[in-house]
Amino acid sequence: MKTYKALSKSLIVMAGVSFVLAGQASAETIKIAVGHQSMCTDTYTAGIVVKELGLLEKHLPKTGKYADAEYDISWSDYSSGGPITNQMMANKLNFGVMGDYPLIVNGAKFQETESLRTLYVAGTGYNLKGSGNAIVVPVDSDVYSIDQLVGKEVSTPVGSAAWGMLLKAMQDNDIPSTEYTLKNQSPAVGAANIAAGKIDAHSDFCPWSELMEFRGTGRKIYDGSETGVPYLHGVVVREDFATEYPEVVTAFVKAVYEAGDWIREDPMRAVSMMEGWTGVEKEVLYLYFSKGGHLTLDPTIKDEWIEAVAFNHTVLEREKAIPPLNFDQWITEDFVKAAYAELGQDYEAEKMTAVDPVIANKGLPNEIWHSRDGVTTYDDMPSFLSAMAEMQGTGAKLNATYVYDIETGLKLFGKTAFWVKDAESYATFLRKGEAESYASDKGGQLIDFDTAIADFIKEG
Amino acid sequence: MMQPMDTVLSVVKHSWRSLLFWGLTFAVFAQTLQLAMLIIRFGDLPNYGISYDWLGNISTIAQSTPSIKDMLPIMFEEWWIEIGFMNYDYGNGISEWSLNVIPSRLVILTILGGLLALLILLKRNSACDAVAGTVGMAGASVGSVLVCMTTAAMSWVVCCATPSWVVGLAMLGLSVSASLALEDLGPTLFFSGFAVLLVSIYAIARGQAQQHNRQLSSDKSSHELPALEYTSALNRT
Repeated sequence: MKTYKALSKSLIVMAGVSFVLAGQASAETIKIAVGHQSMCTDTYTAGIVVKELGLLEKHLPKTGKYADAEYDISWSDYSSGGPITNQMMANKLNFGVMGDYPLIVNGAKFQETESLRTLYVAGTGYNLKGSGNAIVVPVDSDVYSIDQLVGKEVSTPVGSAAWGMLLKAMQDNDIPSTEYTLKNQSPAVGAANIAAGKIDAHSDFCPWSELMEFRGTGRKIYDGSETGVPYLHGVVVREDFATEYPEVVTAFVKAVYEAGDWIREDPMRAVSMMEGWTGVEKEVLYLYFSKGGHLTLDPTIKDEWIEAVAFNHTVLEREKAIPPLNFDQWITEDFVKAAYAELGQDYEAEKMTAVDPVIANKGLPNEIWHSRDGVTTYDDMPSFLSAMAEMQGTGAKLNATYVYDIETGLKLFGKTAFWVKDAESYATFLRKGEAESYASDKGGQLIDFDTAIADFIKEG
Repeated sequence: MMQPMDTVLSVVKHSWRSLLFWGLTFAVFAQTLQLAMLIIRFGDLPNYGISYDWLGNISTIAQSTPSIKDMLPIMFEEWWIEIGFMNYDYGNGISEWSLNVIPSRLVILTILGGLLALLILLKRNSACDAVAGTVGMAGASVGSVLVCMTTAAMSWVVCCATPSWVVGLAMLGLSVSASLALEDLGPTLFFSGFAVLLVSIYAIARGQAQQHNRQLSSDKSSHELPALEYTSALNRT
């Protein structure tokens, strides 16, 4: 009888303790810490947009085991991906948003440890051919092509995607590392040195090259698309967090998807708001996020991406001796597939779609961004140039103009493009060499933007 | 017979406060010097500073890292204070360079400073020949430079590359390729630096022990061991 009573007491105590513990578990506070980069455009759909629009909060699970959960969400802004990885290692961040090279370093550094791992769970955006990275020279430089960099000083943020692009571009053009001086410079320092003409060339990632072009300090001589290696950004999450809260990771990917939708819905509104959040000029952001822009917003993980990161890993292994990376263990489509399913979207269809600017941007209209009236589009060059002449004639304030490179399909600022006038019309180019070849083939002449506009200024 | 280790332990026993004081002073001096080098290198005074909850972060790491083998290196890199320069020309500002005060590095620098003070104390009390003394001091200098260099806690927000000690070298003017080539040598250089310093201390202590033993054997009339007085020249000041 005594034994029975003691057993009953024990059971009651255990039940009581269990009840208390269960209560505590259901009322737990889930800390979600995200590391993002407000000076890297391609990360915005998993960073600043999600943060400012409160999209993560909108999608976080609130039923089942999360019914009583409280979320403590924090966002930390970084200038590069390296510190994000360090903070994830120390478990001060659960999620990290970064470009392809830092992503690889992240995965490899975690796999180097005995007990910690990250998972690559979604993309944010991409450029199929590698645009976003570029080599820029001072605007008055006499350098117009990469082969002219022999014997020159070239700076880059070492370890970044732009650094990887620079190495490949030099290799592709048979310029060994002994024939140019590589300097390690941060984006801000590189941009300042380009403005002051203190460096011959600077290679950087999005949106620094376009920022220099927009401010009139730099000129692109090489676009990352020439390497033909996709440039992509993505989201990594600590595996222990993903295992404990898989629904939260899925919610994060849903927020990324919705951020992309929000930008596509009204790019003008999006870039104007993003300018306020990041301090990056909206005209530069428009070059990335508008229709025909450099960036395709797409969270899917395509087979080509895995090939691209595997290639990039070989570069990092050779140049920086980073640890090996098991891609099968690191990359998972589980969360992005779950997010698409919950949003009622067709994951496989989007995964199979890849936007090539050469094809997708063919025939897209040129644009003029009037500071008061917004963006107007023009289907052909004469109407675009006529409108420019007319607006200049009235002294209208124009924020920017956009045209497309005939060769790559890339969207360009009208003022930085190389213009060719032939008997029939006008054509625009990213690089001087191709513009000259085209002019030679067509019997046309190389002109600048102002000359092209002048052709449409009406007398009187 | 007096052994070199007895000499060293005797100095440590008598002057540990002084050694600790100079170790801490050296650590603060080394960090200040690094900051001064950054200011000179970049020509900008620091315009921001952040203090981190180091203890809280160490606790988080301990709780969320299952393997002790992983935990210790992560803790070793944990920051306490960050002082740097924020460039506001682009966006909302971009941290261009910073000096990171890392407690684990402070401990190393304090030990290094303490060892240097120990060496100086031994040297001051030693009558070993001038060449051996100079070689010992030179060795100690090389050792300290190696340790200081590999514990440099500077970061340059250059890149997406994970910060490492070679970032400090690159920031201070060494070419990128040379810096990167040296990266893997970090631990080797670090331990070599300490080894050279310890060997230098041992060499000087050995000279002093031999001197003491010679003194003993020549003093036939006395059976009492003369007490070595390691009055610190540093203390005298």
